[in-house]
Amino acid sequence: MTSSSTKDLVSQPYKYGFVTEIETDKIAKGLSEDVVRLISAKKEEPDFLLQFRLRAFRNWLTLEEPDWAELGYPEIDYQDIVYYAAPKQQDKKASLDEVDPKLLETFDKLGIPLSEQKRLSNVAVDAVFDSVSIATTYKEKLAEHGVVFCSFSEAVKEHPELIERYLGSVVSSNDNYFAALNSAVFSDGSFVFIPKGVECPMELSTYFRINSGDTGQFERTLIVAEEGASVSYLEGCTAPMFDTNQLHAAVVELVALDDASIKYSTVQNWYAGDENGVGGIYNFVTKRGQCRGARSRISWTQVETGSAITWKYPSCLLQGADSVGEFYSVALTNNCQQADTGTKMVHVGPRTRSTIVSKGISAGRSSNSYRGLVQMGRNAKGARNYSQCDSMLIGDQAAANTYPYIRSQQPQAAIEHEASTCRISEDQLFYLQSRGIGFEEAVSMMVSGFCRDVFNQLPMEFAAEADKLLALKLEGSVG
Amino acid sequence: MVSSVLAPVQERGRAALERLGLPTRRQEAWRLTDLKRLAAVAALPPSSTSVRQDLPAPSEGVLRLVLDGSQPSLEGQVWPQGFSLLNHADLEQVLGQILDHCGCAEAWPVEFNHASSHQLLALRIRGKVPPLELVLSGGDGLVATRVILILDEKADLDLLEVVLAEGVSAHSHVIEVHLGQEAELRHGFLATADGQASLLAHLAVEQAPRSRYAFTSVVTGWSLGRVEPRVVQLEGQAETTLKGLAMTSAEQQLATHTAVRFDGPEGELDQLQKCLASGQSHTIFNGAIDVPRVAQRTNAAQLSRNLLLSGQARVDTKPELEIVADDVRCAHGATVSQLQEDELFYLQSRGIGASDAAALLLRGACQEVIEQLPSLAKAWQPLNRVMESLDR
Amino acid sequence: MIRPDAELLLEITDLHAAVEDKPILKGVNLQVRAGEIHAVMGRNGSGKSTLSKVLAGHPAYRVTGGSVRYRSQDLFELEPEERARLGVFLGFQYPVEIPGVSNLEFLRVATNARREKQGAEELDTFAFEDHVGEKLAVVQMDPAFLERSVNEGFSGGEKKRNEILQMALLEPVVSILDETDSGLDIDALRIVAGGVNQLATTDNATLLITHYQRLLDEITPDYVHVMAAGRILRTGGRELALELEQTGYDWVDKELAAQGVA
Ligand SMILES: Nc1ncnc2c1ncn2[C@@H]1O[C@H](COP(=O)(O)OP(=O)(O)O)[C@@H](O)[C@H]1O
Ligand SMILES: [Mg+2]
Repeated sequence: MTSSSTKDLVSQPYKYGFVTEIETDKIAKGLSEDVVRLISAKKEEPDFLLQFRLRAFRNWLTLEEPDWAELGYPEIDYQDIVYYAAPKQQDKKASLDEVDPKLLETFDKLGIPLSEQKRLSNVAVDAVFDSVSIATTYKEKLAEHGVVFCSFSEAVKEHPELIERYLGSVVSSNDNYFAALNSAVFSDGSFVFIPKGVECPMELSTYFRINSGDTGQFERTLIVAEEGASVSYLEGCTAPMFDTNQLHAAVVELVALDDASIKYSTVQNWYAGDENGVGGIYNFVTKRGQCRGARSRISWTQVETGSAITWKYPSCLLQGADSVGEFYSVALTNNCQQADTGTKMVHVGPRTRSTIVSKGISAGRSSNSYRGLVQMGRNAKGARNYSQCDSMLIGDQAAANTYPYIRSQQPQAAIEHEASTCRISEDQLFYLQSRGIGFEEAVSMMVSGFCRDVFNQLPMEFAAEADKLLALKLEGSVG
Repeated sequence: MVSSVLAPVQERGRAALERLGLPTRRQEAWRLTDLKRLAAVAALPPSSTSVRQDLPAPSEGVLRLVLDGSQPSLEGQVWPQGFSLLNHADLEQVLGQILDHCGCAEAWPVEFNHASSHQLLALRIRGKVPPLELVLSGGDGLVATRVILILDEKADLDLLEVVLAEGVSAHSHVIEVHLGQEAELRHGFLATADGQASLLAHLAVEQAPRSRYAFTSVVTGWSLGRVEPRVVQLEGQAETTLKGLAMTSAEQQLATHTAVRFDGPEGELDQLQKCLASGQSHTIFNGAIDVPRVAQRTNAAQLSRNLLLSGQARVDTKPELEIVADDVRCAHGATVSQLQEDELFYLQSRGIGASDAAALLLRGACQEVIEQLPSLAKAWQPLNRVMESLDR
Repeated sequence: MIRPDAELLLEITDLHAAVEDKPILKGVNLQVRAGEIHAVMGRNGSGKSTLSKVLAGHPAYRVTGGSVRYRSQDLFELEPEERARLGVFLGFQYPVEIPGVSNLEFLRVATNARREKQGAEELDTFAFEDHVGEKLAVVQMDPAFLERSVNEGFSGGEKKRNEILQMALLEPVVSILDETDSGLDIDALRIVAGGVNQLATTDNATLLITHYQRLLDEITPDYVHVMAAGRILRTGGRELALELEQTGYDWVDKELAAQGVA
């Protein structure tokens, strides 16, 4: 790659970096049992939830922050974070027209129009602003099919029995340090329930927006698909640019019963910090799906482009016989970003199958690690796994690490793992250029070609978005 | 061979062991190790039995040396041309240096060897020399041996290390190898035991440019086994080949931890590790490949193939690739399965009984690594040894 | 067709170029006017591919002297993609495979980049599919190839046809075809040659790099040049190619020796 062309490239600023001026209801910084009680009280929660939070908090106190991931970051002061912030508006409005226009405008700017006239025609959106859900579109239409799609807080009020049954059933409140923290202080998030036999009539999507500078973000998402139900869900994220780091520690739990199918896609574009690594989101997320029922299927697709640090392993617990787990991931890091991501496929039931396709792209001085576990338990007779992990390095200062961990205790299970590392070759670039395709576009074509297997898994509307996002993120990094 | 240079090393080793204590599960490299067995090894007294008498005759032209950890000297040994013992001054200079370069300084098995070994064989090799066979043997107690090989520029050697053990005993073995420019070493490591003994073998190999190092290990029958080859290509531009066969049965546990680092450009690695676990046994493979920024145009391939032969056995495998250079080719792969059903079926359909067919396939699986051993290994009938240990 | 008053498209003057400090081109002179077909022949290693790569702007080849003017513009001031957009086309001797990048998408982006320069309207996905459909006929290529990744898994002949398809889409002014005939069986050769003939007009020009007479049986050159040791040793009409076919290249050594080069 010629160095002259590199110099010509201009770095495109993060275009979602604006801050919305809005009054918020914030509690004081710091974390204690009282704070946990206060959050629960503010949300008028039933006792079982308060007890859940308190158990989690007490667990958290006994846990140690993990340090085994290949991540370097300054110590987080958990007393210097605000654990609850919500835009000031009394109740969630029955109609969108009553929502603070500033908020609507914010989502407009982010390309997620919520109002009746402009909203996306086949996607229902739950918009979460600083951990609080402000609006959910198409609720009524979904209700006709028996589908529940609402904010977590609403679900606690309207479907407490479902929450009590499923909350913490996949990711227990002492699963890991950040999951425990989330369980203690989570503020809001999305809840999806697809009843028996129902195929969700439209895509569901939650859009997370961090606005405040000193607020920790602790969303909780729970998706339950009953027997024979199916749903496709997409999560999008952005945040303003601050020169401090913000903590985002979400928990996502998926439950699929017999013959159910859940497809969970993420396009993560949190603010990544500037090119010197100042600012950006620390994204420590626990995502796990449980294929509880026979022939159930859970599929994770993620496009990770943002955050200063990402620590995330969407996983599948394959319990039901013949259940299927999938993980398709593109993780792009640039500048000083660090990503440690991958998946766990835990095969418990017989004839369970899993597929892992991971594409890591490291540019700048960033570090990109794939960390995975494929485990075949004693009863996973006839189970199969296929994994493919490819890395692409751009420039000689970026790091790509691969740690695929495999464990088997079942002779009649088969595991196959392949990994490769490549770069964009000068000859390939030249070939594209000699057909009139500009240097940058050539690079981005090759990168998206590299990621094609994963993009193909995204819902149509978002595949093109992801492609553009990647091109944008790479600008100025090739040389 | 008992060398006064070892005294301070022992001292240091003992101090380090005291400081480190036994490894714990919290250390990633020891997480899966049966630490009780390791503690038992650490508590063994030095071996008292001397050399076994029933060694097969060496192939013609092969120089055989027997090390049992206590035998005081090889005085009177006639050295073929090209071999020479390192003199005291050289020894003081190189001792431990290669271990340092390979990042083994703080490794527990190395410190353990430091603390225990009285016996040191330090050889310099010049030019093309006859094959060398080192037999490490002993019984009842701990046999600790240490070997240093300095291959001068363009030296060329076939080396076979044979490790034998019986009864409640253990081998602690550390070998340091330096390959000068364009030097070539084909290194076989054949370690078989009867299921009760333990093995801690640590190799540190540094390679100058244009040298070639081929290591083939065949390890089977150890109650607790840990084989740790670590290779550094000092300035890249060298060739490294690692082929390993690790087999366990009954309740044995065998871990292979390899690490290869490229400290310069254009290095090559070709690695194949095969693990076969039967009974209630457990094999572990951990293969690290480190390609820092200076290592442009590295070409490395690693393959981990695992056969799980019983419902109570366990296989863990973990490749680790760390790459910071952009113009490299690094591929790795791993598979875990049982014997291929269609292959079995094919043999059966030709009238071969199920168990014979399985044995045939297993032989084939082992043969792929065994045939890479340097040819002097033939005297030891490695395939038969391996198949016997599988039957036990 | 030779017309002395036709536009001078390409003017190569005393061109020197090197790869990794090894001089390869040592003073190439060549003039190409609109409507002309030039054949460049020569032994393996004489520098033919190097000349073509230098003209297209491959970064590994360094120009160490001389000049190339394309339609009176300094070619070396332009990035490779800019040359392509202005109508310089290189048919590669070894087209690279680009896994993951869809052939159709690639062709569309390239075509639109050229069309923008030509002042033609951009073709959207649907319009482009029709457009490419017509061009496929030129090289008798199966539309299934559009769905695959660029050149990935294509046979040698298929790659070369894909090159000519690109030529048809980009409507170049000067086409340099580097051994487009090698590795083709006789049917494929006819198809490729037919494509080139169809695309040749009085406004454009073609530089055919080849080893063999057989391509020149299909495409009649106006000039034949013989390259050796990084220079054009001799230039003649089509009869020169026939002569080479009979006598081989042995005379080249003598001539080089006489010039004190080899
Ligand atoms: N990328 C390159 N690196 C090193 N040498 C090269 C390269 N390309 C061409 N050469 C050398 O330049 C000379 C001319 O090669 P080339 O232009 O390919 O000849 P032709 O196409 O006439 O067969 C040969 O000696 C070849 O080895
Ligand atoms: Mg050529």
